[in-house]
Amino acid sequence: MPAGRRDPAAQSARRPPPLLPLLLLCVLGAPRGGSGAHTAVISPQDPTLLIGSSLLATCSVHGDPPGTTAEGLYWTLNGRRLPPELSRVLNASTLALALANLNGSRQQSGDNLVCHARDGSILAGSCLYVGLPPEKPVNISCWSKNMKDLTCRWTPGAHGETFLHTNYSLKYKLRWYGQDNTCEEYHTVGPHSCHIPKDLALFTPYEIWVEATNRLGSARSDVLTLDILDVVTTDPPPDVHVSRVGGLEDQLSVRWVSPPALKDFLFQAKYQIRYRVEDSVDWKVVDDVSNQTSCRLAGLKPGTVYFVQVRCNPFGIYGSKKAGIWSEWSHPTAASTPRSERPGPGGGACEPRGGEPSSGPVRRELKQFLGWLKKHAYCSNLSFRLYDQWRAWMQKSHKTRNQDEGILPSGRRGTARGPAR
Amino acid sequence: MSRREGSLEDPQTDSSVSLLPHLEAKIRQTHSLAHLLTKYAEQLLQEYVQLQGDPFGLPSFSPPRLPVAGLSAPAPSHAGLPVHERLRLDAAALAALPPLLDAVCRRQAELNPRAPRLLRRLEDAARQARALGAAVEALLAALGAANRGPRAEPPAATASAASATGVFPAKVLGFRVCGLYREWLSRTEGDLGQLLPGGSA
Repeated sequence: MPAGRRDPAAQSARRPPPLLPLLLLCVLGAPRGGSGAHTAVISPQDPTLLIGSSLLATCSVHGDPPGTTAEGLYWTLNGRRLPPELSRVLNASTLALALANLNGSRQQSGDNLVCHARDGSILAGSCLYVGLPPEKPVNISCWSKNMKDLTCRWTPGAHGETFLHTNYSLKYKLRWYGQDNTCEEYHTVGPHSCHIPKDLALFTPYEIWVEATNRLGSARSDVLTLDILDVVTTDPPPDVHVSRVGGLEDQLSVRWVSPPALKDFLFQAKYQIRYRVEDSVDWKVVDDVSNQTSCRLAGLKPGTVYFVQVRCNPFGIYGSKKAGIWSEWSHPTAASTPRSERPGPGGGACEPRGGEPSSGPVRRELKQFLGWLKKHAYCSNLSFRLYDQWRAWMQKSHKTRNQDEGILPSGRRGTARGPAR
Repeated sequence: MSRREGSLEDPQTDSSVSLLPHLEAKIRQTHSLAHLLTKYAEQLLQEYVQLQGDPFGLPSFSPPRLPVAGLSAPAPSHAGLPVHERLRLDAAALAALPPLLDAVCRRQAELNPRAPRLLRRLEDAARQARALGAAVEALLAALGAANRGPRAEPPAATASAASATGVFPAKVLGFRVCGLYREWLSRTEGDLGQLLPGGSA
């Protein structure tokens, strides 16, 4: 007989099914007399077993006339006839079956073990549930959208597949008081997730865990303790606009609005921008845009369409010291840089507005030069804005010079390249 | 013109007199509904056997055709009855099916909880059987052939010895009910078809 642990919960396999109105006077398993027909009973009915265990089952035939023989009976499992050497006639009306080293159930409704008469007709059936008890669920992670709700995700235990229907239940309670609550909205962001829509407290930690249960037992995850304010995320920034910066062919200006749901709490919020060329899949990410709602992308290719997205991390909300959780990216917004006959530089970084230096090497050196100039040359009104204006003027005058020299016939724009300067 | 067997026309009236247009439209509509639901019933049965596992899906699978309380399969003599009588039997079967389908759905919710499509199909089937049954009864009333006797109520949900039924018998029961659902829909479609102009005798 099968070895292995048996949790009392496994006996739930034998719990009576719910009411079935009218029903089938089930003669599959109940003797019926007087009709000349044979019926049988399989024992055990609907057993639950560990993978690798053994099973000894019997099929006892009842019928009219009495003394119906077990000779000629045979077994099938999931529609496949079992080798006769696994069966043995115990007595005139009982055929036994011995199965060893059982595999996991093929379907969650149970493997179909059927006892057949000699002519192939079905006399009785029993469903086998062969599997593993659940492992401890792991990797619980949770987030709160705008401090209004809590969604949690987890991973089933190491083996994953138990071959039995395993029920997962997310539980939560306030850390020092309160009763256990059970999450009710499952599968919101994947098969192992649950959503708690309301009635959550702030400034006090919750304890959260997941219980896994199947016919062979149960397991409980480690407890995750968190404060809702430490796992807040928000909506993507709305109203993202991308526009050209005058005639500068390597720059685009990006502006957005703080996510409205948390706009009064985003003093320390961080933003991140990513952009890519239209026909590329490679995004470039600009980090640490801090809590501004605008940024200038520099070092772009001229005459190129770019897609831009922005996301927000509500870091520091209500004084939380935790890292915060990034929102989803905003919908892509597209814009193109002005076209120029000179190839522009490659990718670049975001230039904050107001003329503050960026991280590129040329501009870093320029910053140093301007700083030196201010100190030694009394050029107090020098700034990056002035530098950008100079660049735009240079490009314009370069085009005009090329036209005058016949390199670019008037009326044609940027279709020929002049000599390198 | 001789009276057509199975026609719902007044036997005193020449059979060449067509039904009122709106009634004919109603018959067509109900017939189309029955045709569509027959297709859905096929899909339901396919999905059901797949989830119960073999041998349910095998062509050779032939469990005992055990009686289901409150509903039997169409009798071989059904085809020989007058069409209004056939439609009354169809309506009665369609009225008996919903609680059976609901019971199968509840049991499958335990056996196959991760099969939302099957559960949805079973719920839809119960609703659709009610709808088609009501449509057939309305047609019979419009044709003046409604059942004048007391309406037989579908059997109420009661506890029975079958509450001790094991999982395999429950699977067989569901297979039987889904099969009966398909049979009665197909029969209803055929019987309604005979009301249409050009329907064969």
